[in-house]
Amino acid sequence: MSEGPSSLEALLARFRFRPDEELDGTAPLPASAVEPDREAGADELQLLTFGLGTGEYAVALGTVTEILRARTLTEIPRARPPLLGVLNLRGTITPVYDPSLRLGLPSTVPPCAGPDCDRPPRPARILVVRTALGPAGLWVDRVRGVQRVRNGGLERPKGGPTGGVIGVLPGAEGGCSVVDPEWLLR
Amino acid sequence: MSAESQAVEVCAFWVGDAIYGIDVARVDEILPRVVPLPVDEAPAHVEGVVHVHGTAVTIVDLRRLLPAGTPPRTAKPKVILARLGRRRVGLRVDGMAGVRRYTLADIRPGGPVPGVLAVTADDCRLLDLRGLLADRTAPPRVPL
Repeated sequence: MSEGPSSLEALLARFRFRPDEELDGTAPLPASAVEPDREAGADELQLLTFGLGTGEYAVALGTVTEILRARTLTEIPRARPPLLGVLNLRGTITPVYDPSLRLGLPSTVPPCAGPDCDRPPRPARILVVRTALGPAGLWVDRVRGVQRVRNGGLERPKGGPTGGVIGVLPGAEGGCSVVDPEWLLR
Repeated sequence: MSAESQAVEVCAFWVGDAIYGIDVARVDEILPRVVPLPVDEAPAHVEGVVHVHGTAVTIVDLRRLLPAGTPPRTAKPKVILARLGRRRVGLRVDGMAGVRRYTLADIRPGGPVPGVLAVTADDCRLLDLRGLLADRTAPPRVPL
């Protein structure tokens, strides 16, 4: 083998990552292998339920791309209240908001941005949602899980301005309000 | 050619008793605990698939593709989520060995085992990940 720099460069060309590189002869995975969970049927809605203060809320599972353990955020000087700070999500700067203010609830989020704040509470999570302007985070006190609801299984919100509350999932303790994440961020 | 383009940044990891490296630009994430879902009729080195942020990723056990050996006791097994063209693959390794930077002068071509393109002065083996996993990332297609 010739050991000149050009042959080394050729070797390193194979070593380096290129987004357009091809893998020869690789068959796609069979569909049965890539989807271990039962898919939601057409007549079913999957909701991610979470807690804010003493209340329970839910968003459509499809709008949430990721759930992060709450972490210390980077502070933004003079940020307005719903904006808590930003976090670096694998290279994408993601703003994180406090959804309780939009819902008319007292904020339960402890100081979470900047070098002087304490560690976030253990059950706290950040729901990363997809928006027209890129990903955004919603700080919630806890995440309950995924609930499947049949179409028509949601009740209409009782009285008052509904705003972004799409419906109410019946259940104990006044049920669980299903909200529109885009409205929470507006 | 500028010195910048000649330098190579390598994500280094332990497999057995040797250190291997892949281009750091391939690495998306390092996952500490991964329990893959086994896939029927997959090759022996494919542990299975996992859901990572909504996409299915094949987990390949590099320890079954590279020579065996005993890693250092401080090494903690991890899964490296690496890019391979437009798809991603999880690589099970014995432990991480940091990000290293080499110039062309540090690298000599050829490797002691198949799949290794070159070896650096400090004995980090640069892997040809595409060559190593070509036709291997996916299990064989079975007639339905």
